[in-house]
Amino acid sequence: MTRAVSSTCPYCGVGCGIVLNVDENDRIRWVDDDPVNLSSTGMLCVKGRFGTTFVNHPDRIQTPLIKRNGRFEEATWDEALDVVANRLLEHRGHFGSFASAKATNEDAFVQQKFVRLVMGTNNIDHCTRLCHSPSVEAMLQQLGSGATSNSYIDYEEASCIVLVGCDPGSNHPVIASRMRRAIDTLGTKLVVVNPRRIEMCDRADLFLQPKAGTDVALFNGIARAVLDDGLADVSFIEGRTEGFDAFVSAVREATVEECADLCGVAAEEIRAAARFFARPPARRGQPPELRPGSCLVWGMGITQHTQGTDNAHSLLNLALLAGQLGRPGCGVSPLRGQNNVQGCGDAGCIPDSLPGYQPYGDAAIAPFEQLWGAGLPRSPGLKATDMVEQIASGTIRAMYIVGENPLLSEPNLHHATDLIRALDFLVVQDLFLHETAELADVVLPACSFAEKDGTFTNSERRIQRVRRAIAPVGLARPDWEILCDVARRMAPGAGVDPAQFAYGSASEVFDEFARLMPQIRGINYERLEGEGGIQWPCPSPDHPGTRYLYADSFPRGLARFVPVRQRAVAEETPDDEYPLVLNTGRVLYHWHGGTITRRVAGLMEQVDTVPVAVHPADAAVAGIQEGDPVLVFSRRGRMGGKAVVTDAVQPGNLFVPFVKLQDSAANFLTNNVYDEVSRIPEYKVCAAKIEKKRERKGAFAR
Amino acid sequence: MKLNGVSVEATGSLLDTVLAAGIALPHLCKDDNLPVIGACRTCLVEADGRIVAACSTPAAGVQECATDSERAVRIRRGVLELTAAMQSGPAGAAGGPRSAESLEAYASHAPRPGQYGLRSGTHADLSNPFFSFHEDACILCARCVTACQELQHIGAIGIAGRGHTARVTPGAGVSFRESICTSCGSCVAACPTSALRPKG
Repeated sequence: MTRAVSSTCPYCGVGCGIVLNVDENDRIRWVDDDPVNLSSTGMLCVKGRFGTTFVNHPDRIQTPLIKRNGRFEEATWDEALDVVANRLLEHRGHFGSFASAKATNEDAFVQQKFVRLVMGTNNIDHCTRLCHSPSVEAMLQQLGSGATSNSYIDYEEASCIVLVGCDPGSNHPVIASRMRRAIDTLGTKLVVVNPRRIEMCDRADLFLQPKAGTDVALFNGIARAVLDDGLADVSFIEGRTEGFDAFVSAVREATVEECADLCGVAAEEIRAAARFFARPPARRGQPPELRPGSCLVWGMGITQHTQGTDNAHSLLNLALLAGQLGRPGCGVSPLRGQNNVQGCGDAGCIPDSLPGYQPYGDAAIAPFEQLWGAGLPRSPGLKATDMVEQIASGTIRAMYIVGENPLLSEPNLHHATDLIRALDFLVVQDLFLHETAELADVVLPACSFAEKDGTFTNSERRIQRVRRAIAPVGLARPDWEILCDVARRMAPGAGVDPAQFAYGSASEVFDEFARLMPQIRGINYERLEGEGGIQWPCPSPDHPGTRYLYADSFPRGLARFVPVRQRAVAEETPDDEYPLVLNTGRVLYHWHGGTITRRVAGLMEQVDTVPVAVHPADAAVAGIQEGDPVLVFSRRGRMGGKAVVTDAVQPGNLFVPFVKLQDSAANFLTNNVYDEVSRIPEYKVCAAKIEKKRERKGAFAR
Repeated sequence: MKLNGVSVEATGSLLDTVLAAGIALPHLCKDDNLPVIGACRTCLVEADGRIVAACSTPAAGVQECATDSERAVRIRRGVLELTAAMQSGPAGAAGGPRSAESLEAYASHAPRPGQYGLRSGTHADLSNPFFSFHEDACILCARCVTACQELQHIGAIGIAGRGHTARVTPGAGVSFRESICTSCGSCVAACPTSALRPKG
């Protein structure tokens, strides 16, 4: 007899409702879709439906592990927690922590509380640093809130969708389905901007294929075309924005034709994109009293550049210029990669603000200090990429990493590995003994999503329940419980009341989170039980939640234009030795670095080798044919893969998903150079070369 | 309206009204996650003297509806005999989460075996890592096709051929693995028989 437990998918930021059907042996037999869920409307993708068997994989860490003489030994919880607490007390002052966007809001909230209150530092961050930190920085600066402004339903009520630097068919499949629904049934226009021809291009009305790293030129060009053709929303600009004149003069520095030359997109196509976005033809069923809207949707193609924040500014400028914000069927959407990357940021696992994106000023920090009964650090902490780089200087000597594997996700992995190795003390809390965990001094086994209660917040700001469906595997425990145990052990030494970490349930943790984050103050477990997911802002118990932001005003008052100018396309560009541009991204059948999906047999059956997409012209030069084993090199490393010869990539470009398969991963090649503002690495561009792997045994077997 | 002689409130389709009243009625091609298909005819009822498909008949305007009249039951049994004849494969093969729907329909209507010649297609597609397709269990209800096309908007599968040779197929002469299928499993979730089966 199976039982059905309603929960939320642990993969991407779409946040689909899933129903886990569990048998009497506590095995998940079948994952069903949830037609009632308003985010997924009865859909799932392959990872959500078939990809949760990792929870019972034999590789799950079963007990705490302590490294002695270079080898892990099994330990009791008490032994392991004592070691962690004692060693961390020695390392207050040069400590940093990574939280997990795969864990729950409750896990994230307790972790940042531990880091701020007990460790006395704001050195806490998570994978948003590597994905949408430029979007969040740009949105906070220009709009005053760092979240997606619209809901998924707005993709189905838009008259035009512009997809920039993202591949929802691979990484947000259910959002892709909702977009296809609009395109197929309502005639919604689709504009795709991507250096690579993605699957959604099959339905695109317009496909712009810019050169890598020229996004500012392209979007300034589109803005110029909007201005030239009189498509700007004058009343929106006058009533809701500031800084317009400076923006206009920056945009007028280049004509549409000059921008076209820079980015490699025809001027006519730039003008067409401007018309589609600013004044789309009405979709079928568009209410006549509403202006047809456009949704601007983007992914890592915008952010993972040394000018990632500028790129994001150029998109937001365009949305303001065309007035495509604050109505149904329009808005700005950075597509969030992980199931709870929105919530992990909301809960304060970022170095520059408290939960709810509240600054460290006296007014905002007072309620925290009052409730937590101790002073909190007031200076911004180090960002994730800087924490790793600062190991070299000794600024960071101990780390506590929860549910993240930087030794797959950081750029230039050989360099990153050397740094992590140099730590005095490393705690890793996770499901599997991955690359980073191997280097840890103590490893703590954490529960997967299926073994604990909590909430995830998805890309449309919807807070949804995660429910315990199976008993914990081995001695695994929920992250927040483990962190509370560590915190209580350390509390006396840190001058903190241990009662601050004595929660009776995940629901209690959420209540404290909601008390401190005004945007979610009206939400509690009882409401989530009765109503399903609720979208923040939801400031009071009688508030229904918010479908789209900025209807009447922006959190910062007026929205602000930020003029940006195209700079050098990338830190490292092709030369004679490394003549190709390496671009990285995703593949449908794997999840990010692959720590989880490599442990799902069916997904491995679909893709077991890293596919390396190469243009036929470049393949011919290198004597490479479809399916050939290939080696890709950059100045920092090399990797092996299987050639996919396709004109979906432009001549001179390679595309490699960053999943690690057969010990090969793109991040051995990528460049550890960073965007100045957000400190995101430039994963999207580096110089590389490709060659056919020689048929040889032994030394080259990689 | 009167439903089996009892006054009920009409809501949506006749099928919606029947199910809301807690009355069991086969509806093998109607999935509450999908639009009306109207292909399987297993939900035939008698409405104001006419035999109609409950799934695609609006309840509004119907005065009297009977699911249990001798005529409705007899015709449904006939339909289910035809349906069962489409399945030449072993009875009781393990299916997906909704495969019990066909078994329950057979159990409640006791179709007599051997009334019609069995459909002969035996193609099996084992190429997808997550599920397999077995033509000998398929009743051509088109739920999988509709889930793929109208729920996920992928359009990887369709029905090819006519009459006895009609079959569900992922494209022209290719396997699921070779097709544009993204393995989302919505077809498996929709299948009311064991034609589409999760592996493992």
